[in-house]
Amino acid sequence: MRRKSIIFALLLFMVVAFMGCNNTDEKVTIEFWHNYSAADGQITVLETLIDEFEAQNKNIEVEHVFMEWSALKNSVTLGASTSVLPDVLRGDIAFVPQFQSLNVLLEMSAFSDYATQSAKVLASANSSNLMGTKYYGIAANTNTKILFYNEDILEAASVEVPETLDELWTAVSAVSSDSVIGMVEPWTGIWNVGPYIWSEGGEVLSPDNSTAEGYINSQTVVDVIQTLADLYEAGELAGPSMDPGATGDTDGWASELYAFELDGPWRATSNAAAEINYGAMALPEGSEGSISVLGGENFMQFKNSSEEKQEAAWKFIKFMTDEHAQVEMAKVGQMPVNLAALENDEAITAMPLLPVFQEALLTAKARPVIPEWSQVEDIIATKVAEAITGAKSVQVALNEAAVAIDALLDE
Amino acid sequence: MMKSAMKLEKRKRFNRADWRTWTIFLPGMLFVMLFTIYPILKMFIMSFFDWKIGFQQTSLFIGLKNYVDVLSDPIAIRAIINTFVYALVTVPLQMIIGLAVALLINGIKKFGLFFRLGYYLPVITSWVVVALLFRYIFANTGLMNYFLIDVLHLMEEPISWLSSRWSALISAMLLGVWKGIGWNMVIFLAALQAVPLNLYEAADIDGASKTQKFFYVTLPSIKGTITFALVMLAIGAFNTYTPIAILTGGNPMHQTEVVLTWMYFQTFDALNMGYSAALSMIVTGIIMLVTVLLFGLTNRKKVA
Repeated sequence: MRRKSIIFALLLFMVVAFMGCNNTDEKVTIEFWHNYSAADGQITVLETLIDEFEAQNKNIEVEHVFMEWSALKNSVTLGASTSVLPDVLRGDIAFVPQFQSLNVLLEMSAFSDYATQSAKVLASANSSNLMGTKYYGIAANTNTKILFYNEDILEAASVEVPETLDELWTAVSAVSSDSVIGMVEPWTGIWNVGPYIWSEGGEVLSPDNSTAEGYINSQTVVDVIQTLADLYEAGELAGPSMDPGATGDTDGWASELYAFELDGPWRATSNAAAEINYGAMALPEGSEGSISVLGGENFMQFKNSSEEKQEAAWKFIKFMTDEHAQVEMAKVGQMPVNLAALENDEAITAMPLLPVFQEALLTAKARPVIPEWSQVEDIIATKVAEAITGAKSVQVALNEAAVAIDALLDE
Repeated sequence: MMKSAMKLEKRKRFNRADWRTWTIFLPGMLFVMLFTIYPILKMFIMSFFDWKIGFQQTSLFIGLKNYVDVLSDPIAIRAIINTFVYALVTVPLQMIIGLAVALLINGIKKFGLFFRLGYYLPVITSWVVVALLFRYIFANTGLMNYFLIDVLHLMEEPISWLSSRWSALISAMLLGVWKGIGWNMVIFLAALQAVPLNLYEAADIDGASKTQKFFYVTLPSIKGTITFALVMLAIGAFNTYTPIAILTGGNPMHQTEVVLTWMYFQTFDALNMGYSAALSMIVTGIIMLVTVLLFGLTNRKKVA
């Protein structure tokens, strides 16, 4: 009798447990890693959007995890060998080639409706997902750099807003004084010097990304870097990577030390917070036009997620790249990639600089999408810093950069 | 006969205690095996491969190439030299100042607790926070230049402390020493309080001066502590990361890189796992050599 009741209880337990399993099986939980900024209120918006998405898709649950930029990158690097990876990630466009070299990304263009969805977003922004003939992500937000200037400083020095790159360099010198440094450049990678090089018709690598010789050390690039070196020597250009003792750009803007900076949408937010009277415009034209650098973030998926989760994650990504979610994110400072959102009145009201950025985005250029890029950019940053600070002559430093980059690309 | 019986008895006793010994011994040993020995062995193996960390990627055996790469990399060599300089300067300075402070505190009757707390405070504050504070102090427009120019009138032009290799390293070393004095003080204070008083009394009777008492009584009595501090600090100095990462980030142009900041870059930015493993093994070798040398130096028996 007793044994029977034990068996019965066990059976009952198994049935309940099985039913429980079945219940959770119906609901797919996807993990979403991102670096949306809490300080700008983006995480609050994200949570609202997730609630809306879950209400529309009763069987999907989204768990979001915030990580700061480098933690996001390092976690995926480690996750490649431990298989602890999210189902969706929203991160820097520069992550795509690096993660692809770790063989962890899911080919997103394999989804049958990828073409339909990607047609809704800016093609230039989405190009950062293309490796070979396949797309390993879809654009989430975009940004580029435009020229910010401190109106009070320009007015005090009676300097006009520059219209060409040459005028910009003259203006930088003209506003510099004992208490003002004309320009700040926080780093010396292509993210920073690329726009000046491209706008004057220079290049970093050959079109097929196979060599730097004859490109990074061409006369055009040498001239551009020489201009920056002259400004640095005169104390009219500063930046913490060339001189770690220099005041950081945000601190320098707040204390009205810096007059010009080529920077992204976040500069508008921080300048507004510091109550700085600033203006902004697309990068003044060089001899080949105004060509800024493409930044932003992409959504990525990982191949070790189950098929069910991959489908759910793709649904979530489509939701996040549609007009509604993009407009909501624009209100807290994320530049939309969705074409309809870019024209949306609410988005434009929330981001007054949106038209300026959109103009710059038309000609903005992506950094080369190659797995070795972060090493290539480190070589450039180091050598350009050596050239600007006068540790080496510009031509010598850039020749060394070409040799080092080619050695890396040949490996 | 007697001897072998004793040996047998000893072995028996050991065997009886065996399972108890092992129960206490095993968890710790497993932990060390899993988290120290295994990673070192794995890293040793990795250092001979072009190690791919990616999903289902195969790594290629490349022999000693990683070691050649490290040793022919000017930045790696500079990083190793910078680390050596950091160790050579900060370790002795921390110990000397720490010992001096301990002697002073040991000699006073009042406010001992106050001073101990004061000197120990830097030890318990966060590296990141104090490194950031030091960055502001040594910035071009920072407190240090203000102090030297406007208060002391020692110079006309500000020094760009963080902008060149040696002055940036000096800033980092000052931070390291300042933060380490308290730890040394506590260790040496404990050692000083353990020196038997009758030794000093005997020295007094022999008419020894204060200096003589320090060199012939105090120092020999705390020799063990000195060795301990020396070895621990040397290992710590070779593992320095936070002060450099925050003060300069290795900038400008990788001039101020130390071993760990360079290793971090190679691992997480360049994904050169094999290179980093080789660099790691080289540094492990250096640390082991230094430790053995230090033990040998401080423990050598006096001849005569």
